Amino acid sequence: MPHTHAAVALDRVTKSFPLGNRSDLEVLNIADLALPAGSYTVLRGPSGSGKTTLLNLIAGITAPTAGKVWLHGTEIFALSEPDRDRFRAAHVGYIFQTFNLFAAFTALENVMFAMMCTSKLPRHRHRQRAEEILVTLGLRRRLAHKPHQLSRGEQQRVAIARALANDPLVVLADEPCASLDPKTARAVLAEFLTLCREQRRTLLVVSHDEAALTEADRVLDMAAINRLIVASV
Amino acid sequence: MTLVAVAWKYLLGRVMTTALTGLAVALGVALLMATFLLTRGIRDSFTAGTTDYNLIVGAKGSSTQLVMNAIFRIDVPPPNIPYTVFERLTVDTRVEAAVPLLLGDAYAGFRYVATTPLYFQSFPWKRQVLTLADGQFLHDDPPDQPRFEALLGWAVAKQIGLRLGDRFYEGEEMAAFPLTVVGILRPTSGADDRTIFMSLASFWEMNELSREMAVKPLTAVLVRPKRLSDIPILHREYNVLPDTQAVLPSAVLLTVFKLLGIAEEVLHIVLGIVALVVFLYLFVSMYHAALERKREIATMRALGARRTTIFSIIVLESCGITLAGGMVGLLGGYGVAWLGARVIAARGGIALNPMMVTPMHLAVLAGVVLLGALAGLLPALLAYRTEVADNLTPLS
Repeated sequence: MPHTHAAVALDRVTKSFPLGNRSDLEVLNIADLALPAGSYTVLRGPSGSGKTTLLNLIAGITAPTAGKVWLHGTEIFALSEPDRDRFRAAHVGYIFQTFNLFAAFTALENVMFAMMCTSKLPRHRHRQRAEEILVTLGLRRRLAHKPHQLSRGEQQRVAIARALANDPLVVLADEPCASLDPKTARAVLAEFLTLCREQRRTLLVVSHDEAALTEADRVLDMAAINRLIVASV
Repeated sequence: MTLVAVAWKYLLGRVMTTALTGLAVALGVALLMATFLLTRGIRDSFTAGTTDYNLIVGAKGSSTQLVMNAIFRIDVPPPNIPYTVFERLTVDTRVEAAVPLLLGDAYAGFRYVATTPLYFQSFPWKRQVLTLADGQFLHDDPPDQPRFEALLGWAVAKQIGLRLGDRFYEGEEMAAFPLTVVGILRPTSGADDRTIFMSLASFWEMNELSREMAVKPLTAVLVRPKRLSDIPILHREYNVLPDTQAVLPSAVLLTVFKLLGIAEEVLHIVLGIVALVVFLYLFVSMYHAALERKREIATMRALGARRTTIFSIIVLESCGITLAGGMVGLLGGYGVAWLGARVIAARGGIALNPMMVTPMHLAVLAGVVLLGALAGLLPALLAYRTEVADNLTPLS
């Protein structure tokens, strides 16, 4: 069984969204997918091919219409919703395409919020841990700054810090460099990959960036794994 | 971070909306507290003023006017009674204390009241104990030897600025009878604070009509019987006399309270409407906040925050606004009540002390926080039910 060895495993997963006229829009149909532990995989495909939906399924944010999803041996949709939330907080880091930082919080507080969602680390250690990660990412002088006071590159670093704060097993990133200029994108990506690889985290990154592709252990095309796209070609 | 810290951050993040909503809550609570403090103060003032003496004897006419004038120094003085009524009561073996009162003119808006030193004497049954802040009490002048001494209520001395030894009179015709301040009373939170006391002899000499009368006039006599069982008998005796009536102050008080009660009922309806408006304002504010924050809520959920966490943050924000607004409102209510008491005293002549602390304050705070929780409930449910994937980023 693929789920016993892989960090991320999908088995006969489909995802449909209900439309108003009693019909459904099917966006994903994946026979199987397995990502080895510690691997770095880049996912690419045209717009509408289901990349973000796939990330959301793996993160446990959205449930499949059919099929199973495992993360490090845990079938995540067999868990109750609160348990799945706890699991995600502890073991999955997510970097959003537009960073999705909390406007009212400082850089430090954005990272600390993620730590508040799990009891992996005692509360009195949250600030120290958050500071450590942000300093590692070069944001020592930006801890008390709010997102609107940060450059795009700095915002992306805060988003990375937030995703790594709870020492996750799996990190998902949806077009992490799409909002950055090429030079900043390369620099940020390099730091991000270094941090993740040092800790042997399993990475799945949606990207079309050449810098991301060259470092990847494997490049997955949605056309190759989503049978809906294969069928429509 | 704690949930309270997160809620606090969100409140600060929209500081103008938070401040305005908190202000609305504060105004509502201030109105509620001021109304309570003032109505309670008025009731307490009436109760305190009418409970020391069981009977008031005065001229026939309106019993309410007699009590209001004799005890609270409001309303126009009723017709006079002869001094012989008082003399009869002082020799009545059923009477423990009989205190004559004569009300007349005023100085700078503060009523003159002529009486005897017995008015200021302490008795075990007296709730109101009158003590001196400065100087001495009045002498009991013989009728033909008036000293024109004045004993001032606390508010008189404070507002006019009269001190011991000062001389004053109202109108040129009174220049020949200036009064000299010999004493100032401590505050009583009653009508005595706004009164200028003098001896009966001084009043009779100052007043050109009573100066010429063979039988001197009085406005009323305050009576305390030795036994409560003698009250109905004395009441009947002085009611059947041709030129007097005897009034039970407690009975008049009941009538006054009944009227107050009607006004209070109307006030309660108004307060209820105000509370509803404040509730709706808070609800709309929180609802908009939850709507605007859908993406952040979805992000929080994507990071692993549970639905109950999101729900709690919204409710905490709502409770935080009402708690802060409630505390400011409580203080504001005292301020409004203090101002209101001054206006009531100046215009209505009723002295009251609204500065009381009661368990109601805690009840109001608790009620306001509960209101906040209720107002935040629907927005919190909205946040609770936020679809994560739909509100994160556009699908690719």
